Amino acid sequence: MLSKLLKYEIKATRRIFGPIYLALLIFAIVNRFTLNFSPEQWQMSAVLSMVVYISIMVGMFVMTLIVMIQRFYKNLLSAEGYLMLTLPIKSWKHIVSKLLVSMLWIIASSLVAMLSILIIALQKGDIAALIRESGPFFQQVYAYVGSWIYLWSIEAVIGFLLCIASGILIVYASIAVGHLFNNHRIFASFGAFVLLNTLSQILIVIVFVPLGNTCFPNFSFNPVDLMAMHCVIQGAIAYLMVITGLLAAAYFALTNYILTKRLNLE
Amino acid sequence: MSIILECNNLTKKFGNKAALSSLHLQLERGRIVGLLGPNGSGKTTLIKLANQLLTPTAGDILITGKKPGVETKKIVSYLPERTYLNDWMRVQQIIEFFSDFYVDFNKEKAYEMLRSLNINPDDRLKTMSKGTKEKVQLILVMSREAQLYLLDEPIGGVDPAARDYILKTILSNYNENATVLISTHLISDIENILDYVVFINQGQIVLTSSVDDIRKEKGKSVDALFREVFKC
Repeated sequence: MLSKLLKYEIKATRRIFGPIYLALLIFAIVNRFTLNFSPEQWQMSAVLSMVVYISIMVGMFVMTLIVMIQRFYKNLLSAEGYLMLTLPIKSWKHIVSKLLVSMLWIIASSLVAMLSILIIALQKGDIAALIRESGPFFQQVYAYVGSWIYLWSIEAVIGFLLCIASGILIVYASIAVGHLFNNHRIFASFGAFVLLNTLSQILIVIVFVPLGNTCFPNFSFNPVDLMAMHCVIQGAIAYLMVITGLLAAAYFALTNYILTKRLNLE
Repeated sequence: MSIILECNNLTKKFGNKAALSSLHLQLERGRIVGLLGPNGSGKTTLIKLANQLLTPTAGDILITGKKPGVETKKIVSYLPERTYLNDWMRVQQIIEFFSDFYVDFNKEKAYEMLRSLNINPDDRLKTMSKGTKEKVQLILVMSREAQLYLLDEPIGGVDPAARDYILKTILSNYNENATVLISTHLISDIENILDYVVFINQGQIVLTSSVDDIRKEKGKSVDALFREVFKC
């Protein structure tokens, strides 16, 4: 059932992102040409197409944020909720499907943005140079940190995904809390967002920081001798990930509780 | 006698206000039941509780002996009083959606009803009138071979001709195993298809009776009895 939810969630959102991605890539190509024309003659069109390109780029990231909020609120907590929440599916699967698809679009938008920059900036021979240089680059990094490079790369990816997930889930939890109010729901959601953020910060300061200080006494960063500190760094990274994961789990649990026990559809 | 829907001491409060208070009710299989009451009497609250869109404050509501959840949603077909259709799908896509999520959904039946009501499956939901959307919703709900149909104000927004067709559809879906619960205050329109009525007022059951008994013993139509009971 989760896969079916994911299927419909992607169907519902791709019709928004498809055209935006296409427009961004087309204007990246246009920019590539207008920037290469002789400056005197084409300056106006170059400026104009660059303005359009940047507007689309900004619009794309704003839309990513709007769609994340709107899909959760509109599809689950407004009139459409009558359909979605009476399907024979556990409510946590609804949250997971929305979360995964939102993460997918954030990542896809970032990749399309990078691709569009490459389209504009890439010159002849750049790719060959990149391939030529990347070999020695990785050798150097490898010489410096050794095989830990793999672990660190994996940790970077997991940490990145955890941060996005936690960021999305706090928004979902805020919207869910906001919907408990009968009036001024948007305002209440903002209030809930500020409140949840504050509570999380307080929790970090009074629980996690002192706990961290006891676990890692005398922690000081020494970039020259990175390897000697490896175990401590690993411990600290793991600790940060656990904190982020715990907070994300708490936002998830709150959202799920409201969706199952405190539903207040209009 | 087999009970499909059962409420024991069911109470739902919103703040201090009780929408339902200590309600007791048992509905058997194989009936078309009218849930009748004035505005604000608790009809919608009761139906929402049966669909897990609300959680009881006290007491419980059971469908085939189970509390509302994934298992009961598989056998309950629910028509809310408002339109819940999104604006980006076509009719045929929402039919796919239903047959994807409900095992008991009968696609042929849905397309047949669409033909009868002259609705084009390629039309977008966005472009439809409110009445047409309501028809589509009713078709979706009645195309399931469910055991309990909970219809909240199913005929409020549609024209009389479609109303007749809809009532005929509900009647033809009637079988030994399935119960249809229709909440409405348009009693005279649906009176002829009802087997059983439940009168509800201020969150409490006022009267439950078979329609035959009302006619025989009291010599009245349901509509006349309703006006008498809920006289302002």
